[in-house]
Amino acid sequence: MKIKHTSEFLREEREGYIFVLPALIFMLAFVGYPIIYNFILSFRDVSVMTISQEVKPFIGLKNYIEVFKDPTMKISIWNTFVFTIGSISIQFVIGLALALFLNLKFKFAQPIRGLMVVSYLIPMTVTALLFKFMYSTSGGIINELLMSVHLISKPIGWIISGNTSMLSVILTNSWVGIPFNMLLLTTGLSNISYTLYEAAQVDGANVIQRFFRITLPELKPAILSVLVLGFIYTFKVFDLVFVMTNGGPVNSTELMSTFAYKLSFTQFSFSKGATVANVLFAILFCVSLGYLGLIKDEEVIG
Amino acid sequence: MIKKKTLLACSIAAIMTISLFSGCGSKASTDSTNTTSTEKTKITLWHYFDGQQQQKAMENLAKKFNESQEKTEVSVEFVPRAELTKQFTIGLVADKLPDMGLVDNPDMASFSAMGLFADITGKVNSLEYKEQFFPGPLASCQLDGKYYGLPLGSNDLALFYNKDMFTKAGVEPPTTYAQLKTVAKKLTVEGTTYGLAIAAPKNEEGTFQFLPWLLSTGAKYNEIGSDAGISGLKYLTDLIKDGSMSKEVINWTQNDLEKQFVTNKAAMIIDGPWINSTIKTDAPNLNWGVVKIPKDKVYASTLGGENWGVIKGQHEDEAWEFIKFSQTEDIMNEYCAEFGYIPSRKDIAEKNEKITKDPIMSVFLDELQYAMPRGPHAKWPQISDAMSTAFQESFTNAKTPDRAAKDAQIKIDSILK
Amino acid sequence: MKKRVFNEKQKNIILCSIAVVMACIMLFPIYWIVVSSFKTNAEIFASPPTFIPKVFTFSNYTEQFVGKNSILIAFGNSCKIATSSMVLSCLLAVPAGYGLARFKMRGKKIFIISFLVTQMLPVTLILTPMFLVYKNLQLLDNSLAPILSDSTIAVPFVVLILRTYFLALPKELEDAAKIDGCTTFTSFTRIMLPLSYPGIIMTAAFSFLFAWGDLAYSLTFLSTPAKRTMTAGIYNFMGQYGIQWNKIMAYGVLLVLPVVLIFIFLQKYIIGGLTNGAVKG
Repeated sequence: MKIKHTSEFLREEREGYIFVLPALIFMLAFVGYPIIYNFILSFRDVSVMTISQEVKPFIGLKNYIEVFKDPTMKISIWNTFVFTIGSISIQFVIGLALALFLNLKFKFAQPIRGLMVVSYLIPMTVTALLFKFMYSTSGGIINELLMSVHLISKPIGWIISGNTSMLSVILTNSWVGIPFNMLLLTTGLSNISYTLYEAAQVDGANVIQRFFRITLPELKPAILSVLVLGFIYTFKVFDLVFVMTNGGPVNSTELMSTFAYKLSFTQFSFSKGATVANVLFAILFCVSLGYLGLIKDEEVIG
Repeated sequence: MIKKKTLLACSIAAIMTISLFSGCGSKASTDSTNTTSTEKTKITLWHYFDGQQQQKAMENLAKKFNESQEKTEVSVEFVPRAELTKQFTIGLVADKLPDMGLVDNPDMASFSAMGLFADITGKVNSLEYKEQFFPGPLASCQLDGKYYGLPLGSNDLALFYNKDMFTKAGVEPPTTYAQLKTVAKKLTVEGTTYGLAIAAPKNEEGTFQFLPWLLSTGAKYNEIGSDAGISGLKYLTDLIKDGSMSKEVINWTQNDLEKQFVTNKAAMIIDGPWINSTIKTDAPNLNWGVVKIPKDKVYASTLGGENWGVIKGQHEDEAWEFIKFSQTEDIMNEYCAEFGYIPSRKDIAEKNEKITKDPIMSVFLDELQYAMPRGPHAKWPQISDAMSTAFQESFTNAKTPDRAAKDAQIKIDSILK
Repeated sequence: MKKRVFNEKQKNIILCSIAVVMACIMLFPIYWIVVSSFKTNAEIFASPPTFIPKVFTFSNYTEQFVGKNSILIAFGNSCKIATSSMVLSCLLAVPAGYGLARFKMRGKKIFIISFLVTQMLPVTLILTPMFLVYKNLQLLDNSLAPILSDSTIAVPFVVLILRTYFLALPKELEDAAKIDGCTTFTSFTRIMLPLSYPGIIMTAAFSFLFAWGDLAYSLTFLSTPAKRTMTAGIYNFMGQYGIQWNKIMAYGVLLVLPVVLIFIFLQKYIIGGLTNGAVKG
């Protein structure tokens, strides 16, 4: 869509730049350099043996080839996707349900909405330790509760069994992320004009129709932001999994972020760590390209 | 025209920013508690001891040194363990390092290879008491025949056992693998107590706990795939299979073991002297004792403890003076007692009655002669990772002990190439 | 289909009950952390677990306030760093969000993706190069370092969320303001900002929260223990040889309490703003 670059347009554009550029320059200054640094690092051989050398050897794509030969890499990529999609699905659905429910006008709605936020406020490390504690197989409170209501007969090895470990971290991550989704969707809901609903009711639309025909479409920009940001943040999650399971048992919860950390700071293979991080980066980059595609042109040019 | 509110917000921000700069500036200069003359060379030491008692011990040591001479002043900085490795590596890259560092003994080789520590072979060889060091601890300070540090203090692993449970079952503390298997089975009460518990997470702590079982079969640290090595792995896996050991060990830390022990959920645990005081606090009425880890072919244990290292290119001579100071008999005994460690020097340890006459500590001292260092090898972390993967796979039945061990051996061979 | 008739009061009770049950399930871990913080270490691992502590141990809390590692010093640091980061983030990001929503310009999509891109590396791998940057700026061991880094977490987030928020606000008011003679800037500060304050408060709260909960940046860039934030204090209880669960639970509660209080307090403003916005068709 061609836009005529009238002086009017240019003036508006310049004003727009003034609003946007400070933040952008700030980000690029502080985060741009690390991104480039990691990029370059992945093409050199920097490890325990070479870090003391003045000039680190340039080895092109060798790191990438070696990293992909390691079976852990494919496992971690798969795990990261499972973790992210699983968490987002749960967080979003429940967050949306809560946002809608607590938007209704009843007495406890506001205070309870405020209380729900608490799970997001606890630092990740503390949450990870808390859940690690609660998930203990023998004597952990979750197993005790489930057994006392006879839902299970034997304790479940939540984080010691490869079958349930991924589920356990997904549930914990979702618990943390639900308020995030809920709050942002609530803000979005608050912007939907009430008159739209009134008009629909006059036209005879029932609750379900109102939801799908008004709420969802009006909420679309908020939903997209929540989903794309949620995807990026969840894809990067490190503390939670590292503290709870350390990627185990065996590799069942090894994410790309934990794998990269271990390569860099436990095994001192810094280049390989940067390589894994770059693959993570590349995947997220593609995802955000997808997001851009979904933002309607009208919104962008506005 | 800017709205009043915006102006207010901006001023607050500006004031805060300014106060930050001034605050930080003045703070830095009042950091040192001493107001002695600026003649003294100031050097810093990084350590990761987080217990209140241990931190005080470090500061005490520094204070004594500072008071004992006029040339150098040591200040001690605590960096959490998980962070210390990161800080060292970042410091290497960014060239911002302390003058001395304390590292866990298996990490010394890697850091030395990375150029963190200075080569002090000459200085170490000149020590008259060099031969008095236990071979394990001293070996962990070496890389390619050169010395990069000195041991701070050592500890090792042994078998803790619940005396009351043993008397009730009418059994004696085991000394061999076979005896351990029988005793563990006998003491296991389904749903309440496991005979034995070890810590087997997929990290260095797990490898630390696994090594005695490997070394006792006669295999070396890099020979997990040998027949001996496989038998060690199989032995532990069988203990899980026959119910004497919980599968949860793959997630337990050594501190978790202590909790299992004091709540009578484990009759025997493999752990070290650092939990002694915790046991006494948690369960003062518990009747417990310590014996050497049962052997297969030879007695074996893993060497724990930290090493002093002099950071390359900074105040090397002053740092060396401090380290030598810590080696004097009274000083060493004092801080080792506060740490719960055993002096790494035979001559000092064997004269220390607090250790030799104590029924618990004397076992750890005895065990120390069998305690092997991990490597030492610059690529130890990768070797350790291969081993912890192997035992996790075996314990969770993802692979047979045979397969898990052989796969680990392939990885180790390629690391060592 | 029978039409179910509930009067207002019954509806209220039903909805309230459902809400309370949901809250109980979601907040059970919080209950658990609070209860555990009052137990002794031995009781925490007792089998079966106790729902009310047998002996209320307050020492887990009182111990945290004394001595060199007093949590009060760290609390002050956290406040300082989190507030500064929040102010910085808002100053940078609110105009940016507005700009992306309201102005026609080329390269808008590139801007959006640039903000997203800065979020894509895990924090642990950004540490080393950021450390180098601060070293060259001589900002090491200076609170400004974590403030700047924490803002890099908040700014892209605030920008993108506020963008959608501003998009949803009606344009007519700004057009009216322009006709009345306001410049772009004044229509922004006098009309848009007041109108959008629920969104701004929400995002200010998030950026405060990101900075408050940050561990990696403050720990890596601040080497003097006295300058570190409350989050770093967790390492006082996570030993090389074990975790003091009861103290960590108490510490967790202390860490969260100020933020929870702030959020509950802010709720009033947010609710006021949100319901206003909805009714004002």
